Amino acid sequence: MRRWSVRTHLAGLLALALAACTRGERAPAGGGRTVTDDAGRPVALAAPARRIVSLSPSFTEILFAVGAGDRLVGRTAWCDYPPAALAVPSVGDGMPPNVEAVAARRPDLVLLYRSGPNATAAQQLERLGIRTVLFDLNRLEDLGPAARRLGVLTGRRAAGDSLARAMDSLVSQGPESPTPGPKSLVFIVWDNPPIVIGAGSYLDQLAGLAGARNVFHDIRTPSAQVSIETIAARQPDFIAVLSDTAARPPYADRPEWRVVAAVRQGRFLFLPGRLFGRPGPRAAEAVRELRRRLETAP
Amino acid sequence: MKYVVLAGAALATLAAALLVGPANLPLADLLGSPIVWQLRLPRAVLAFLVGGALGVAGTSLQALVRNPLADPFLLGLSGGAGLGAVAAIALHVPGPWALPLAAFVGAVGAMALVYRLGLVGGGELDPRILLLGGVAVGALAGAITTAIVSLAEATELRNAFLWLWGGFSGASWTTVFVILAYAPLPLGVLVAAARPLDLLALGEEPAQYLGADVRRLKQLVYLAASLLTAAAVAVAGVIGFVGLVVPHVCRLVWGRLHRTLLPTAFLTGGILLAAADTLARTVVAPRELPVGIVTALLGVPVFAFLLRRWTVS
Amino acid sequence: MDGELILALSGVTCRYPDAPRDSLVGVSLEVRAGEFHAVLGPNGSGKTTLVRAALGLVRRVAGRAEILGRPARDWSRRELARVVGVLPQREDNLFPQRVRETVLLGRYPHLSLLGGMGANDRAAVERALVACDAADLADRWLWSLSGGEYQRVRLARALAQEPRLLVLDEPTTSLDLRHEMELFELVRALVDAHGLAALMITHHVNLAARFADQVLILAEGRAVARGRPADVLTGETAAAVFQWPVVISAFEGRPQMIPLRKKENRP
Repeated sequence: MRRWSVRTHLAGLLALALAACTRGERAPAGGGRTVTDDAGRPVALAAPARRIVSLSPSFTEILFAVGAGDRLVGRTAWCDYPPAALAVPSVGDGMPPNVEAVAARRPDLVLLYRSGPNATAAQQLERLGIRTVLFDLNRLEDLGPAARRLGVLTGRRAAGDSLARAMDSLVSQGPESPTPGPKSLVFIVWDNPPIVIGAGSYLDQLAGLAGARNVFHDIRTPSAQVSIETIAARQPDFIAVLSDTAARPPYADRPEWRVVAAVRQGRFLFLPGRLFGRPGPRAAEAVRELRRRLETAP
Repeated sequence: MKYVVLAGAALATLAAALLVGPANLPLADLLGSPIVWQLRLPRAVLAFLVGGALGVAGTSLQALVRNPLADPFLLGLSGGAGLGAVAAIALHVPGPWALPLAAFVGAVGAMALVYRLGLVGGGELDPRILLLGGVAVGALAGAITTAIVSLAEATELRNAFLWLWGGFSGASWTTVFVILAYAPLPLGVLVAAARPLDLLALGEEPAQYLGADVRRLKQLVYLAASLLTAAAVAVAGVIGFVGLVVPHVCRLVWGRLHRTLLPTAFLTGGILLAAADTLARTVVAPRELPVGIVTALLGVPVFAFLLRRWTVS
Repeated sequence: MDGELILALSGVTCRYPDAPRDSLVGVSLEVRAGEFHAVLGPNGSGKTTLVRAALGLVRRVAGRAEILGRPARDWSRRELARVVGVLPQREDNLFPQRVRETVLLGRYPHLSLLGGMGANDRAAVERALVACDAADLADRWLWSLSGGEYQRVRLARALAQEPRLLVLDEPTTSLDLRHEMELFELVRALVDAHGLAALMITHHVNLAARFADQVLILAEGRAVARGRPADVLTGETAAAVFQWPVVISAFEGRPQMIPLRKKENRP
């Protein structure tokens, strides 16, 4: 899970140029099953999608959340929630998408998050006559529009709109209750060279909603390379690491990393990948979990 | 006089590297701060040592292959190092030294392969074949690396490429001491070869008539320069242009005699790389650029300027 | 009076690796101090190979090569460079250099690993420059020299080695008349004044006959004749070796070779 999230952020780093392109219209055009995806393409389906391949765990979760999980015929190896998704055949890790494996599932709709390699894969699938949609998936505010449009495409419009409203309201509200003295943290995804998470990522948003402050909030991109000294200078209270175990990262014992106070004092937050590894419908739960850990940490 | 300026520039660069940084330390705290002792100082020293090693390796290699456009990474070493690093990650080799050690082994493996290719009977090395063999081995290693990356699933492989682009963010005192223990031997060999290298510029046969044991000279210089470069890559990734541009700059100022050229190339390479690292740390603060990109951005205009001077003279 | 024996080749046969034939077959030569030897012969007759064999650069299949009484193979390159100064046919000039710098290279065989250039090294360089009439060129860039000046500088470098034997491989090939004569006169003067031995490979048969004490004529790797020019350079020998009809005419007691035109064109 950690690795998937890291890949997302690196893919996001590379897709900065794409992200600067104009976004597609959010609302469905008129009635019927037509939406405009985030690559600006109109996608029209004659009938609700019946056989869907999802190439992102977030979309898999959204599909199940709007009650269209039974239409899933293909998923990535990373799609592990809800448990029912595991029964669906995997089409590989999706990086880049294996076009043949996807086509072998005979889908009438393929869901991809917008990135360079995925745009190429979408073109190849379209050439085979398979409809594709490309949705942005960097920050929490991308979830609402994705849910809304997926609702249209699957004929579950009401469920999609309701989920979208829930996601939108999560983003627009502040922390549930103000925290006494916000704690600060840094998300470290790699140590050599040091890579941290910036404001362009949903993780930064989760931190804000949980009442904490990402010390690298001033970096606009989802992730960036910095020096150990910069991390030390910003004196984060915690080091957030996406990890399913509570094992200290190997760099924590190196003298140059121990200049960072939080490393010296062992103030690590181990955030499980299944909840924090990607933006999804369970974002509210992630926020609550993060807040709980911050408050109970020594 | 020029030496005084060079020594002064070295000290100034090191001082700047110590004083400049995101942590905004007041001067009074400087001596006691762990940020200076554990982060800035080893990083500055390491950058200086690696730059010096690359400068000397580049100078010797240009003399060996008798081509002023030679760069230490022409000999396939960067491809070998990349392959070693990627293989270590794909095989999940544990330990903090896995990456540098694997990169070193990969680079040395490439060196041995190119050496074998360059032997033309009777233990004689043909420098032209060394260059061609280096390009071929580098391409082969690159192809295998790409295959591993596309087949393996680990995300860490993407990050391995970031590491390979060059950087001193992982600098530590341990790394510095390893380099200090390792580098003097190949450096010593090259400095001892300084006069024979002057003779080699006349051609292999004239050099022999002037007393150089050309056969052994080629072997020793190739091995020593490659070992220096392999250590540099293992510690700091692939940093181009230093080994190419520094020898030319030094020749312009100090002439072509290697007894002077090699030490000044060491200092100049150290200054260049330490300065580049300081720039890499500060120019897009709080973010960092990979050092290899900074040296390329600095090196290309310098190189273009040198080329113009070359063709004009 | 016989000078000291500097170079002695006896029955030397050699072959380059992967070559179909021997490049030298049973060649003998003795060069003494104060003697000027010339090696003549058509292209590919083994002249350069002779030099390389004498200095241990090419494996000998048979025969002996000795310098100052010791086998060539026993000499280290540095030791040899203190005794023999060679001007090879070709030389590279990778980086711009000045005349004095390149002549200084000739002192390298005398310098120890840690030591620097001493006063006597610099004096040797000055003497070499003066002896070659190149003292006024000392601060010029090498690339700015004419052909003749360049050869004088190379000769100065060889002299800076303070050798007992000078070996020159076709040093006048691209020089005009004046510079060619100057070079031959220079070598003759060095041999006479300083007691050096000289071994010159040259295509210029007539000048070799006028200046040299002894000539060695090679053809297809074999020694066809060896001895004083007047004794050895005959019409039959020259015609057979150079494969062109010639007549020999004497000038100041030295044979001069005059090639004839094709028979059909003679009136």
